[in-house]
Amino acid sequence: MLGRKVVDLAELRRLACQGVPDAAGVRPVVWKQLLLGYLPTDHALWAYELEKKRSQYSAFKDELLVNPSEVTRRMEEMTISKRNGHNSEGTGVLPRAEIVHDEHPLSLGKTSVWNQHFQESEIIEQIDRDVKRTHPEMQFFNGDSSDALSNQESLKRILTIFAKLNPGIRYVQGMNEVLAPLYYVFKNDPEENNAESAEPDAFFCFVELLSGFRDNFCKQLDNSVVGIRSTICKLSQLLKRHDEELWRHLEVVTKVNPQFYAFRWITLLLTQEFKFRDCIHIWDALLGDPEGHQATLLRICCAMLILVRRRLLAGDFTANLKLLQSYPPTNIDHLLHIANKLRGPVPY
Amino acid sequence: MAHRVDNEYDYLFKIVLIGDSGVGKSNILSRFTRNEFCLESKSTIGVEFATRTLQIEGKTIKAQIWDTAGQERYRAITSAYYRGAVGALLVYDITKKQTFENIQRWLRELRDHADSNIVIMMVGNKSDLNHLRSVPEEDGQALAEKEGLSFLETSALEALNVEKAFQTILSDIHQIISKKALAAQEAAGNGPPSQGTTINVSDSTVNTKRGCCSA
Repeated sequence: MLGRKVVDLAELRRLACQGVPDAAGVRPVVWKQLLLGYLPTDHALWAYELEKKRSQYSAFKDELLVNPSEVTRRMEEMTISKRNGHNSEGTGVLPRAEIVHDEHPLSLGKTSVWNQHFQESEIIEQIDRDVKRTHPEMQFFNGDSSDALSNQESLKRILTIFAKLNPGIRYVQGMNEVLAPLYYVFKNDPEENNAESAEPDAFFCFVELLSGFRDNFCKQLDNSVVGIRSTICKLSQLLKRHDEELWRHLEVVTKVNPQFYAFRWITLLLTQEFKFRDCIHIWDALLGDPEGHQATLLRICCAMLILVRRRLLAGDFTANLKLLQSYPPTNIDHLLHIANKLRGPVPY
Repeated sequence: MAHRVDNEYDYLFKIVLIGDSGVGKSNILSRFTRNEFCLESKSTIGVEFATRTLQIEGKTIKAQIWDTAGQERYRAITSAYYRGAVGALLVYDITKKQTFENIQRWLRELRDHADSNIVIMMVGNKSDLNHLRSVPEEDGQALAEKEGLSFLETSALEALNVEKAFQTILSDIHQIISKKALAAQEAAGNGPPSQGTTINVSDSTVNTKRGCCSA
């Protein structure tokens, strides 16, 4: 199917929803294609598009990941070369008076690169802390091996560049969890050339994926119709429509506010609820579903509730919240099968 | 009733754990409720929840502890979690000065969202990392005194003072509740109860064992 000259996207989506085979090594390509067309459908354009994106990422790195000393040094160089342009006999030493006042590390000017740096360093520290805590159980992400450390550096760069390019959202805790499956899948591409470019590819796919979900990360939108509260409300409505008895028991009788469990389910796209391998399978369906990522995600969340309905109906507030905050191991095919049966318009 | 599985307690106290990201809130929770510690645990998104039942001054207390995400973005969402909380453990990291300096922000957060009578305990965590200390214990003590909070340094890693911190805040809460119940009874014209009188706390704001589980 992927070998054809032009990929039939509808067919690819249909197949992906049924699960992408692990062994064939096609998941990286399938995900890149489905993720809102990071790869064009025309096979002949792949190499060109990838090359273009990868060099764009490289430019982002050069532009956004330099430290402020480097910026100051470059500015000095520019000043020197300007001076040299006027006076070719310049010594190349910048006279004290010509250091741009705003760019001195002790300057309080808001535009100072150093001031920006100090604000950013808080975010960079947060990213650093969270990347170190990403799938601590997996050697791929964690431990002292050089591979793990280099993977962590890649994740950090991606999140930092994203934060700098998106000042309205910057970095929100949990983004590391959403990025991890993308990076993992691309880094394990059997084609070496692609595996080496896992970082730029994961960056652009992360941007694409978040373009559909970023409102959930945005505090300003919490109370709007597109924010996380409204999304959680849709899940609650979906459950009510499909299993009113369970909905009533959970929300009315035991007073389990869906925010208490579904907030994490939804913002992290279920990455903390299942084993990593299972999460990848869920994402095959999530990314492939033609009805949109969010609608699919909500159906899967609703199916998760229905699958444990007997235990939930027997549980009190404490038992139910504990169960939903640490969801039991589940047969993913069965879960997706149940989710698939919940199709229909998303209630408002 | 069938849905009440675990109701063998005299009081249910809801406690929230707050403080900057990375100070060790989740490990304090897991140390207290499961006696576990994980050097590199996942970051908490939204809220996590655990319970433990223990004896305080002859009463069975069920502590319902809510662990929240530290990052600013999650504060608006987590404000719902303060509802019904009778205690807060405000945690900082003794090796990270900034987390101590942010204590004021967290106190403001509690003032804005929590019940005004909430009992607050300040906790300086990671006392095992004394060689990296950047907040002297005296500074913690001084701030706690100034703000009228109780204070302890803990190490979730070495299981040092975690139990004591919870015991302290739970027994403080218990004492306040008992006093309130007493005052309520006096106000009702019953006079001070003589020894051996059962204090009726059913109309106190804290859940008793026949109350609803969701605080």
